[in-house]
Amino acid sequence: MLSDSEATELLSFLSPRTRPDVKGQATGYILGLSGHRDGCHFCRSKPDLLKALFTLTSDPSIAIVKDCYHIFINLSADETLHQVLVSDVNLLPALLKNLQDPEYPFADQICTILSNLSRHEKTCKTVFKVLQEELSLAQLVEIFCTEGFNKQAKLHYLGPLLSNLTQLPEARNYILDKDRCVVQRLLPFTHFQASVVRRGGVIGTLRNCCFDHTHHEWLLSEAVDILPFLLLPLAGPEELTDEENEGLPVDLQYLPEDKEREEDPDIRKMLVETLLLLTATKTGRKMLKEKSVYPIIREFHRWEKDVHVGAACEKLVQVLIGDEPEKGMENLMEVEIPEDVQVKLKEADMREEQELEKEQERIRQEEEEEEKKERKAAEETEGEQVTGLIR
Amino acid sequence: MASTGVQDDSDDGMDEFMDKFKTQRYKNAFSENNWEEEFNKVPMFMKTAPEEIDPQQYPELACLQAIIHDEDRSPEEQAQSLKDEGNVFFKEKKYEKAILAYSAGLKKKCGDQELDMMLLTNRAAAHFHLGNMRSAFNDAAAAKKIKPDHLKALIRGAQCCIELRNYAEALQWCEEGLKAHPTDKKLLELRAAADKHKRAADRDARKAKAKEKKLLGAKEALLAAIKDRGIKLLQPVKSGQRGSDSEDEDKGSSAAISQLSLDGLSSQEVTGAQVFLDEQGSLHWPVLFLYPEHQQSDFISAFSENNCFSDHLVVMFGEELPPWDTDRKYQPQNLQLYFEDEKNETLYQVHPETSLLKVLQHKRFFVKGGTPSFIVLVNGSSFRKQFLTGKKTQGL
Repeated sequence: MLSDSEATELLSFLSPRTRPDVKGQATGYILGLSGHRDGCHFCRSKPDLLKALFTLTSDPSIAIVKDCYHIFINLSADETLHQVLVSDVNLLPALLKNLQDPEYPFADQICTILSNLSRHEKTCKTVFKVLQEELSLAQLVEIFCTEGFNKQAKLHYLGPLLSNLTQLPEARNYILDKDRCVVQRLLPFTHFQASVVRRGGVIGTLRNCCFDHTHHEWLLSEAVDILPFLLLPLAGPEELTDEENEGLPVDLQYLPEDKEREEDPDIRKMLVETLLLLTATKTGRKMLKEKSVYPIIREFHRWEKDVHVGAACEKLVQVLIGDEPEKGMENLMEVEIPEDVQVKLKEADMREEQELEKEQERIRQEEEEEEKKERKAAEETEGEQVTGLIR
Repeated sequence: MASTGVQDDSDDGMDEFMDKFKTQRYKNAFSENNWEEEFNKVPMFMKTAPEEIDPQQYPELACLQAIIHDEDRSPEEQAQSLKDEGNVFFKEKKYEKAILAYSAGLKKKCGDQELDMMLLTNRAAAHFHLGNMRSAFNDAAAAKKIKPDHLKALIRGAQCCIELRNYAEALQWCEEGLKAHPTDKKLLELRAAADKHKRAADRDARKAKAKEKKLLGAKEALLAAIKDRGIKLLQPVKSGQRGSDSEDEDKGSSAAISQLSLDGLSSQEVTGAQVFLDEQGSLHWPVLFLYPEHQQSDFISAFSENNCFSDHLVVMFGEELPPWDTDRKYQPQNLQLYFEDEKNETLYQVHPETSLLKVLQHKRFFVKGGTPSFIVLVNGSSFRKQFLTGKKTQGL
């Protein structure tokens, strides 16, 4: 790593008045550093360097600004850097201010940085606090939901940002405010085709929100009507009988033949997990059973190839077709689990994970075998052709 | 009102005047019965505005109205008074009158935007209550132009959109409204309602499309079945006519099938029976038997292509002969069947033991109006001899 004197020299190259080509070289070098762990750790010990870099995000040269933002994206991905970034460099207020500017060309980079910073609870709390001071969660959702808010930036990474923020109960309570229209505005994005990042962010947000079972009844009611939005990405083009169709929520009836399911398995898993969360209360279970969720999940399970998603699906099916739990255990989230049972459950979970991993390995190996066979067959026929030619 | 005393110029006239009261009775006083009525005549105490202000009956009120509409007052004042007038009518649910008042107020073009906006919003409300959704919407939109975050206009506009079934626009209005008034209960309610209706409408569209597709599929299958059998449909001469199930715009129909357009299948019978394909893949045709001798006909709504003619003839003529058969000669074994090839003006005889399918596949058989028809004659009868004279025939 650089010595102290070298670091000081580097710092001097980062002044706004430095020649552009020298500045560019310096930022380029630090960008390289930020790409790996040791480099990041070095940066962590040099707050002055970081402050200078942040000042350069206002540099007239777009290439320099791009590099600087790139550096911060890399640095913010490392949790050990969070403290220095948020406190010493104090980049949050400026970032949030620029985010609100519809003309700011680097808004996407800002979103990525914020998303990184909010991943872990500690810094997330700080991000939320500053957010409320600078613009409020309401405006953030507003910006996120306004198509074409910023002509030069897609702002898809506000999705994961929202998802991260909702690990905090304060943020969840804001999004689930009954007297406002916040969560409802997010729902249509559950099937936003153009960006898997945006889609995943929204669905992650919804899943986090469902951890508070006190809101379940409201979420499932007509005021929000979250259920169809969770089911639509899992529903396929398979034809259901008229009877089954009529029992479904309105948005899932008479789907066209070209309906495709959600292509990302992680998102599918989140959707299934969210549905499972909604079955925690008696009211939730009742509603899911009444709204014919089972036929959709049944067809989905048949179609699903990923073992992890399939396992989550099975759990959901169990609840949907199973009997009601006995008295005192109706709210699955509030059931007291004794210590020894908890231990056993943890062990069972681990075993299941291992089983799933093995299953996945097996499938992968099978596929490799198939490929090998095919390649061999192809080579053989090629060989035959060659010998044919010689003859 | 107490009666007036005599006008007296003298200084003492007042005393005399006052003295009168000591001796004269107080006439025309309010009584228990008429005091409300009397009070209602005084403009200040009126509870309701009279329909027409008759200067004779209500001189004071006519006076006030003249003041209100006096052209000397500024346009703003006049507009304001008209607004108030409209509001009074509105409260009394006299919406047409209210609209007239508000419109008059707007015509003043007083220049006070705030006032104009209120006139528009109020007029929108009056229209809404009368069910004039389009007018109400236009007024709300005009009010919104003046003040984009005016809550009443936004609510009214959204309501009108919902009534006009324009749910996408209703949602837009609600969302605009919620930006300025994020916690307004009415807006939240309207948004939820508009969203619900929109999704139901989307579902209905999908359902209709699915149904249409199914119907189209069934029609195509039917036409394909007919074509596969080599059965020819006669196209109607009137090409400009569009039947009720004309499928001129159907996309995806092959050129071959579109030749056999469904116009060729539309039945000219009032019964509306049409050829159909059953679950086993057999066609069932509506068939006409014609008896030119007696100007009679029989209609079979579903003649399976696999059945033969004698199957039906036996049923129709086996047990009882029809009442029009005065000679009692139409017995099944005596009957001869023919179909007519109009183009070649030839009658082809049909063996009763043949299946319908075989006959329809005859190279000169054209199904007319979706209903194959056959002429029935009695063998050896004089009518038959007469009928066939001069006609080209083809025997069995």
